[in-house]
Amino acid sequence: MKPHAADYAASARHIIRDQPGVRAAVTAATRSFDAHRAASWKEIDVEAWKRWAEGVKSHVLMHLDTYMEQAETRLTENGVQVHWAESAEDALDVVGRIARARGVRRAVKAKSMLTEELGLNAYLEARGVHVRETDLGEYIIQLLGEPPSHIVGPAIHQSVDDIRVLFHRELGTAPDATPEALAAAARSALREEFLGADLGISGGNFLVAETGTLALIENEGNIRLSTSAPPVHVALVGIEKILPHLEDLAGFLQLTARAATGQPIGNFVSLIQGPRRADEPDGPEEVHVILVDNGRSRLLADDEAWEALRCVRCGACLNICPVFRQTGGHPYGWAYSGPIGAILAPAYLGLRASLPLPFASSLCGACADVCPVSIPIPDLLVLWRSRAVEAGEVPKSERAGMRAYAWAADHPRIFAAAGSALRTLPLDKGGRALPVLKEWTAPRAPLRPSPRTFRRLWKEGIE
Amino acid sequence: MTGGGREPVARGRTGAGTSAARDRILERVRAALADRARIAHPGAFEGWRRGGSGGGPPDVPTPHAPSSDAVAEFVHRFEAAGGRAVRVPSAAAGEAWLAEFSAGFDAAATGQMLPKALAPPLPSAPPEVAPLGVSMARCAVAETGSLMLDARDGRRTQLLPPTHVVWVRAASVYATLREALLAQQDDLPSALGLHSGPSKSADIGQILVEGVHGPGRVIALIIDERP
Repeated sequence: MKPHAADYAASARHIIRDQPGVRAAVTAATRSFDAHRAASWKEIDVEAWKRWAEGVKSHVLMHLDTYMEQAETRLTENGVQVHWAESAEDALDVVGRIARARGVRRAVKAKSMLTEELGLNAYLEARGVHVRETDLGEYIIQLLGEPPSHIVGPAIHQSVDDIRVLFHRELGTAPDATPEALAAAARSALREEFLGADLGISGGNFLVAETGTLALIENEGNIRLSTSAPPVHVALVGIEKILPHLEDLAGFLQLTARAATGQPIGNFVSLIQGPRRADEPDGPEEVHVILVDNGRSRLLADDEAWEALRCVRCGACLNICPVFRQTGGHPYGWAYSGPIGAILAPAYLGLRASLPLPFASSLCGACADVCPVSIPIPDLLVLWRSRAVEAGEVPKSERAGMRAYAWAADHPRIFAAAGSALRTLPLDKGGRALPVLKEWTAPRAPLRPSPRTFRRLWKEGIE
Repeated sequence: MTGGGREPVARGRTGAGTSAARDRILERVRAALADRARIAHPGAFEGWRRGGSGGGPPDVPTPHAPSSDAVAEFVHRFEAAGGRAVRVPSAAAGEAWLAEFSAGFDAAATGQMLPKALAPPLPSAPPEVAPLGVSMARCAVAETGSLMLDARDGRRTQLLPPTHVVWVRAASVYATLREALLAQQDDLPSALGLHSGPSKSADIGQILVEGVHGPGRVIALIIDERP
């Protein structure tokens, strides 16, 4: 997809003011996800699980060249065709060539954030391939022509009523159909797609170097079907998704599910070793794995920001983020939204193209508490903010204001006087009297100074 | 099966193009890691529980042999996720249960790994149209409530019929996912499926719906016979 992070503020404002249903639906869904996570974490020694998972991921990343080569060797031995893609264009080109070579006209897709990052659907459709998303949430937003609003729940911004209207129009269901009837209509439409497709496309949650196993987590069964029914399966996998050993999946399959939805494990997990073998009655006759870099090796080289590569895409940081809950993922303007999106975007898209995302956070730190692989998200947000300041990518007025603040804070008398003086300004009128603060105050509720200054309260003794 | 011929995509241009890409990616990764401190793998995942060793891995991993405790844990997890578990004392008792259960169906698809004696007394039908699928699990996992299904059994039988009955021997229920994976490692088929309940989705307004793409009804038929 074409990133458009620069529109963040306008888009967020539009959703909050004009589409109050989105805020309500996203808040309800993310609170529900997060409550399930919290309940499921009570059963386990979370800190021990997180420490282990962080350790494995950091180990892999610090030996990534070795594991990439091992994964390639095992996959090839398993009969998988391995491709390498440095960029989105390379990856799309590989899929396009496979599709042409196989005369693919119809493709079914399992949910994959990497293919959203790459813009695969639009690419294939422009080449005459009918592409059908098969995860129920992805199917809904494909019918709407929208990108996903959440890494795990792509259609969480849609209410049941929204989906009733959509399915009535697209599938002819009754205007007051139950969720069961809506799902049944989707099942029957998509069953034909599975059985008629020439190509199944998936991402990959994990790729095991030791055995060449591609692991995929889901609840609906659409990923198992997309990777089992069509004659060709193409998996697009970011190079950071590698795990060393098959037994490492025991931890990651459970931790990812608990972090994402609070389940002990996804109801369906596929562990794929390659194409159908002679003693098997079905399965794809050809399996391709495309190992995608697209900015990952550059982030790995960044010894201040690399830890974002540990991400397992569970969505826990989105679910708990008070900023994400107001709008859902659309204003972030890219495949990865919320706190993790705000630290991946500057690395993958470049700082300028991803502003103001690192600033779209109150730095409350809740995301770091719930991250199952202990990514220091607030620290990385601050890192990208300071890089934006150093690169001159923040408004001049803000830089001038910060310099003035720094100077005043170094001079106690002036600081005290300025504090009192500020209180005489009509800040409750939106603070527009202070040009330096305009950027900050314009999108926010009016400031209301307390009756006494903090310094005065301090002197008098705070309760 | 639909689609074109069986020849893999020519390695010519694809191979050459992506092998240059391969070398460049590996080169960038090696350059990125040149001066970085190496981090050791933390060792085996021990599934630490609350009130356990206080967070650290125990000195010696506890080997969990398949046990009746594991079966009870499997049943608890599988049913909590929306599956149904039926425990029978022998294969013969399971056959009797299945015969009665089959009365509600007019045909079944059966997995290739299912011994003939354990098939339901129903006309056989291809999985695309069968209302019932019956498979044999390779093993099961207690801590996650998962049935492990083998591609040699037939993937369509495991996925397409709306109801899926899976035979599993109590002796093949592992306490932990790690043990189950280690036990399969030397004999991996093209695909293993871990099925831990019915197909479900909450994508429509956060309301749970079962039977979205895979089976909406899944029954683990556990033979409790001790070997």
